[in-house]
Amino acid sequence: VLEVTLDGPVDAETGMVIDLKHVKDVVEREIAARFDHKQLNADTPWFRERAPTAENFARVIFDLLDAAFPGRLLSSVRLWPTPDWCVEVER
Amino acid sequence: VISLARRYRFSAAHVLARDEWSADKNREVYGKCANPAGHGHNYEAEIWISGEPDPATGMILPVSRLDELVGERVVARLDERLLNRDVPDFARAVPTAENIAHWIWNQLEPALPAGLLRRVRLVETPNNSVEYAGPSEDA
Repeated sequence: VLEVTLDGPVDAETGMVIDLKHVKDVVEREIAARFDHKQLNADTPWFRERAPTAENFARVIFDLLDAAFPGRLLSSVRLWPTPDWCVEVER
Repeated sequence: VISLARRYRFSAAHVLARDEWSADKNREVYGKCANPAGHGHNYEAEIWISGEPDPATGMILPVSRLDELVGERVVARLDERLLNRDVPDFARAVPTAENIAHWIWNQLEPALPAGLLRRVRLVETPNNSVEYAGPSEDA
């Protein structure tokens, strides 16, 4: 499970920090499309030099999403390898 | 900042009461939890550590190492116990969720590399939990 937290001002017109549909599309494009059902070491370029530990994977995810969301809106990502443990990267 | 959290479970019983208080006073302060026969909870302790991952391993701390420490120093001492009777520290301090979370912090903090422990979150029931993040910096 991946939890993505965005932190920013509430738009006066829409009453939202960001459109959830947009969040879903960005995460789908930036993360799921690249990593879902992949063998992380072999099928993706990010883990040739470093092991795909939860710590390293969460940092890659944070950096990809941070580049995709405007205005430093990304606050943190939490990656849950199992329901019993997670890794969190905060700005 | 990068952190890792892991959940551990244990079951324990406690009585919330101070020996030096009357039964009425204990019931007034702690309500049903002051029942002298005690009552149990299935606790969940969420242990948070924070630190730079080792460049070689890519890990803050191997989860297996954390499991050993929490297993030996926390779960083995609390699981299936009556806390007031079986854990010497809780003969004095009332084993409230607050005090148990603080106690867990004190067991783990000295056993981990300096500054690694970030937070102990103790879930007592689905409706109540406490968090302890160490002594306040201005204390």
